[in-house]
Amino acid sequence: MNVLLMGHPNVGKSVFFNRLTGASVTESNYPGTTIDYTKGYMRIGGKSVELIDVPGTFSLNPKDKAEEVAVAMLHESKDVKVICVIDASKIERGLYLALEIIEQGYPVVIALNMWDVAGDKNITININDLSRILGVAVVATTAISGEGIKELVTSLDDARPVEIDNIINNVGGLT
Amino acid sequence: MTLDAATRWDIIDKISKETIAFGKYRHTLTDAIGELTVKPGTGIPIAIAILYGFWSIFGSFAGFFTDGFFVRIFDEYWLVWLQGVFPGQGGWLYAIMVDAGGIQSGQFIPSDNCLEAFGVLTSGIFVAIGVVLPAILIFYFMLALLEDIGYMPRLAVLIDTLLHKIGLHGYAIVPTILSLGCNVPGVTATRILETKKQRFIMMTLLAIFIPCGAQIGIMEDVVPGLMGWIMLYLLIGYFIFGFVLNKIVPGEAPEFLIDVPPYRKPLVSNIFKKVWGRLVGFFKVALPFVLLGCAIVGILYMLEVIDWLAVVLSPIFIGWFGVPAETAGPLIAAFLRKDLAVAQLSTIEMTEYQMITAVVLVSIYFPCVATFAMMLKEGWKELLAALAVLAVVVFLYGGLIHVIGILLGVA
Repeated sequence: MNVLLMGHPNVGKSVFFNRLTGASVTESNYPGTTIDYTKGYMRIGGKSVELIDVPGTFSLNPKDKAEEVAVAMLHESKDVKVICVIDASKIERGLYLALEIIEQGYPVVIALNMWDVAGDKNITININDLSRILGVAVVATTAISGEGIKELVTSLDDARPVEIDNIINNVGGLT
Repeated sequence: MTLDAATRWDIIDKISKETIAFGKYRHTLTDAIGELTVKPGTGIPIAIAILYGFWSIFGSFAGFFTDGFFVRIFDEYWLVWLQGVFPGQGGWLYAIMVDAGGIQSGQFIPSDNCLEAFGVLTSGIFVAIGVVLPAILIFYFMLALLEDIGYMPRLAVLIDTLLHKIGLHGYAIVPTILSLGCNVPGVTATRILETKKQRFIMMTLLAIFIPCGAQIGIMEDVVPGLMGWIMLYLLIGYFIFGFVLNKIVPGEAPEFLIDVPPYRKPLVSNIFKKVWGRLVGFFKVALPFVLLGCAIVGILYMLEVIDWLAVVLSPIFIGWFGVPAETAGPLIAAFLRKDLAVAQLSTIEMTEYQMITAVVLVSIYFPCVATFAMMLKEGWKELLAALAVLAVVVFLYGGLIHVIGILLGVA
């Protein structure tokens, strides 16, 4: 099994990667720090699993070369699960990418990262409801201090593909 | 099943209504500082102050360690010790490894400093450890600080209008600043630009006009008084040729959209991890080439290849560029390492203006071999085109600098 870290630029994917694999890929506070993918290994339940730090992308329609790398990584990897990292303080647009990945039939878990920043901005998110509607695990994380990382990794095991129709039903149909 | 964008947003809207509550947002001090540094009226003066601060800390830190510490250790102990214990003084191995002793004059005179000795173990190690190490250490430390605070995207916004004139946009400041550390990551970072045209212009300008941290470090050490002129010529070249490339390279140069992240408090552990990682990476690439470059130039001198080249090329060097013909030697070293080339230039007898011209030529004439390899990885067609541009630029710009010197009455 391969695990991909995907999400918008500058949401903290590389911080997750370093925490999970013990590697030291460059982390910075600007979009576009990671321009190529990096592979590493982490352990889930005693098994060694390949984890891939993917360049940030806004959607699955690439607009520059770094984003092309990201989308190609997703499409070319076999037996893949995706940790979709979302900036909790900008959750809506993060969900857009998450939906795109779910639609294409990939098993996803969502990390609502920068949970502390969302709190500072007085944004409250009902994680249980969000998880119920989407049908995927949603975990509040603050990657830089390590909060939520363990729960995130545990939830990966149960990640399954979700039918987009179920999500549409759960929100009460389309307008 | 896949959806269209409107349907996705519809779903997200409904999810948001059910699960997210946006409370009242307080305007914080960090936001206020964020706005001050991005509005042109206040942002530009602040940017100038920050970059000036960067520059002066860089100069004084590197100078303090190199002049106050390493120069003494290397010249008074390391060189003297090696001259004493290394066997076969005057022989070819001694000349390559330790001291070529006034190799241009043809007669062995022991050198009294590590820059002039030209040996692998003397000049090579001194340039790498004594000069370049302190320079890139402080450079990468301050770069990591700017990166982690979140200043880079704000600089990008401020400089956007200016960089559009040369077919790029504000975010091109990121590969440019990374290149000031080392051109290799700079070339990779061009991938954040959207079109082929932008990537080509950026890569070409980086390879030609942006001196790396190692080179800046050695320039600070051997020609500190001429730094302003050299950097000015490089900066002007960057914009002139960027402007021309924008006109002649086909393709689009779109506007950029960027998320300016909030300022964050940098983590000390992350800063140190980054600086350490970059230092290790630098030495893996740099040290072998510095030593190899030293050896190759030493051998070429001994085989009189450099003298031959100097004679053959003298019409171009003396007539067109207005620099001494001996500049041929450092230019060969420059392909391996620019820092080494500048160090060797400093030992050649010439006027101040010739030195300015020669250092600018060393900077622009060819990317070092590591950068060359990285450009090849990004595409051989682009590399060939970039080299063609480079040949034209060196010839025209080198000549222009000579003409300016003549007009100013200093060349």
